[in-house]
Amino acid sequence: MRSYWLKRVLGALIVLLVVLFLNFFLFRLMPGDVVSTIIDPRFSPEAKAELRKQFGLDSPLYEQFFRYAKAMVTFDFGLSFLSQRPVWEELRSRLPNTVFLLGSAFLLSAILGTWLGIHAARRRGSFLEKIVLLAGSVSFSFPSFFVQLVLLLAFGWALPLFPLRGSVSIPPPEGFAAAFFDYLWHMTLPVFSLVLLGFGSWAIYVRNLMVRTLGSDYILLARAKGLPERRVLWGHAFRTTLPPIVTIFLLALPGVISGAVITERVFSLHGVGTFLLEAILGHDYPAAGAAFFLLALVSIFCNLAADVIYGLVDPRIRVGRSMEE
Amino acid sequence: MTLLRRWSIWALLAVTLLGTLGPGVFTGDPEAQVAAPFSRPAWTPGGGSPPLTAFLTTEKPAALVSWRWEPPPNVTISGFLRYAGQLERAEILWSTPGGKTFVLASSKDTDTLRVDIDGRDMSFKRSLGLSPFDDAAKALFPEKGTYTIAARPTDGIKEARVTLDIPGKKWGLLGTDQRGRDVFHLFLLGIRVSLLVGITATLLAAVIGLGVGLSAGYAGGLFDALVMRVVDILLSIPTLPILMVLAGLWGKGLWQLVFILGIFSWMGTARTVRALTLSLRETCYVENLRSLGAPTFYILRRHLLPEAFPLLMANVALGVPAAILAEAGLSFLGLSDPRIISWGRMLQEAHGFGAFSTGAWWLILPPGIGIALICLIFLDIGRTLEEMSDPRLKKEMAR
Repeated sequence: MRSYWLKRVLGALIVLLVVLFLNFFLFRLMPGDVVSTIIDPRFSPEAKAELRKQFGLDSPLYEQFFRYAKAMVTFDFGLSFLSQRPVWEELRSRLPNTVFLLGSAFLLSAILGTWLGIHAARRRGSFLEKIVLLAGSVSFSFPSFFVQLVLLLAFGWALPLFPLRGSVSIPPPEGFAAAFFDYLWHMTLPVFSLVLLGFGSWAIYVRNLMVRTLGSDYILLARAKGLPERRVLWGHAFRTTLPPIVTIFLLALPGVISGAVITERVFSLHGVGTFLLEAILGHDYPAAGAAFFLLALVSIFCNLAADVIYGLVDPRIRVGRSMEE
Repeated sequence: MTLLRRWSIWALLAVTLLGTLGPGVFTGDPEAQVAAPFSRPAWTPGGGSPPLTAFLTTEKPAALVSWRWEPPPNVTISGFLRYAGQLERAEILWSTPGGKTFVLASSKDTDTLRVDIDGRDMSFKRSLGLSPFDDAAKALFPEKGTYTIAARPTDGIKEARVTLDIPGKKWGLLGTDQRGRDVFHLFLLGIRVSLLVGITATLLAAVIGLGVGLSAGYAGGLFDALVMRVVDILLSIPTLPILMVLAGLWGKGLWQLVFILGIFSWMGTARTVRALTLSLRETCYVENLRSLGAPTFYILRRHLLPEAFPLLMANVALGVPAAILAEAGLSFLGLSDPRIISWGRMLQEAHGFGAFSTGAWWLILPPGIGIALICLIFLDIGRTLEEMSDPRLKKEMAR
């Protein structure tokens, strides 16, 4: 049991290290260095050397990396080239939006997808199953932003129920309740579009698992014992398919984060993804690096959380037997 | 042969032909303005004038224009009138149904009157007696009815070749975009980019994945464990932000994009190939080959590669949609070469230049549906190939 947690935490730390490496070296592939972007070319060589020393660019690469990693882990991202404000301040105001968008869309689509998948597996050949299969192939082949653009055109322009852009009204409404509902009103379409795009692949996956499980002998035995259908379905079949469902939870996460970046752009939300895009387009390297790091961190954190859930639902881990891949 | 019976392979052929030969039908530059910005498709009902042209020719130095719409977005007149001898004054006249007459162009003491007029030219507006801020097209089309454009004098014309061009507010199959470009032309050009990027990036990824998968699966041990750990890590980092950063850092060219997509999408192939190699490595015939002293590279090349090949092809076909979607996504975010017309770019421009305030659905639906169609085609081809390489799948699906 303990070795399982240790392994997972260690794994997360390794991923974190790789992300830091990527971040460190990607931004050093750039022509020029940090100093050349902030100093005047007319500076004397001595002044340049002095500046390089101040920024620690004269020390060996590994030392630079350690300093960089420490700064990143403590969220000390430096100043943005564009706004000259600390990057972390900028990011902190955007993080809640991204986490809310990601979290709600992911949870809703997972719950809806699992529920639909189970019922599609129970009633093979039904209308429900056809919907599930269709939704699955749609989410595989339609570009997410296209579906979102169409939704925006339909519910923002043709039938103006929802706002075309932004995460709050300008100016924001007075009072907590009004502001809260205004926020929900702005987030409805983005979250809805992500759920619409996400639940199909979940449902197909769960359906395939459940079809296989419902055909196995112990389900037949459970039915033969005269257990109520509800008990068979949720207590026996669903219980055993839970670990693989959690696995797919893990694998789906990076894709969901990628989707959130585009979603924020389509709906012009005030989030980490739009910040990353603006930073890249504006050649604001500290900001881009920080936003990328933060997105990767969210992914690592969710991965770890999913691992914890996996450990709780898989009896082989709970009782402490070693797990095989 | 199973493949030839699928709709997808024929659809792919049709799309490829459309993408390679289609743009050849158009003679003009895709960047040229053909009609007013945000012109609706010609086949849609509702208002808006179609494009119109009228000619003055040697035989017939006057033309009638019957007009039933709002004033057009612009007017251009180009060409020349050549007379037999030198004339004191030659003119091109425009008369409205209400009886007003405008002198569009005039010449003095020459035998040739050359015209090259754009309705937006300041000097042209001045010559009509308008202020530079007035709309010349509005002044020339004050009402509905029959207008006349004519040369004066009509006697002694040796050669006349004048074209009056009125761009429409409706255009072609798919209308125009915010710069008045023909959307159908852009749409056809987008096919090429999608196919090219999708297929080359996936092939690159397949080559990397094949190499990694074969060597890791065959070598086993520490090397295998290390490589698979790298695969796991790369799979758990969201790809799009990495791709965005790389595209931002390395430039936005088409080949950079292909390279970036290629080196970040080989993980799935590597996993599949490794799993296959692992099982093949333990089979009797490979063991026999080893005991006969066959070199590792020979076994990999002559025996494992052909075994993995059908699966690899299925993997490639299934990987193309992901690459196409990634390309479209990056272009949509504005991280592609603005000079290259692609479907993602079209969607980006539609989103950024007010397709929503005008409700210009013809800018959004064609590229999006195009992307989805190509993805569906490759998904179907991939599934068919997968079934062909592993007949068990077919049984399971039929069950």
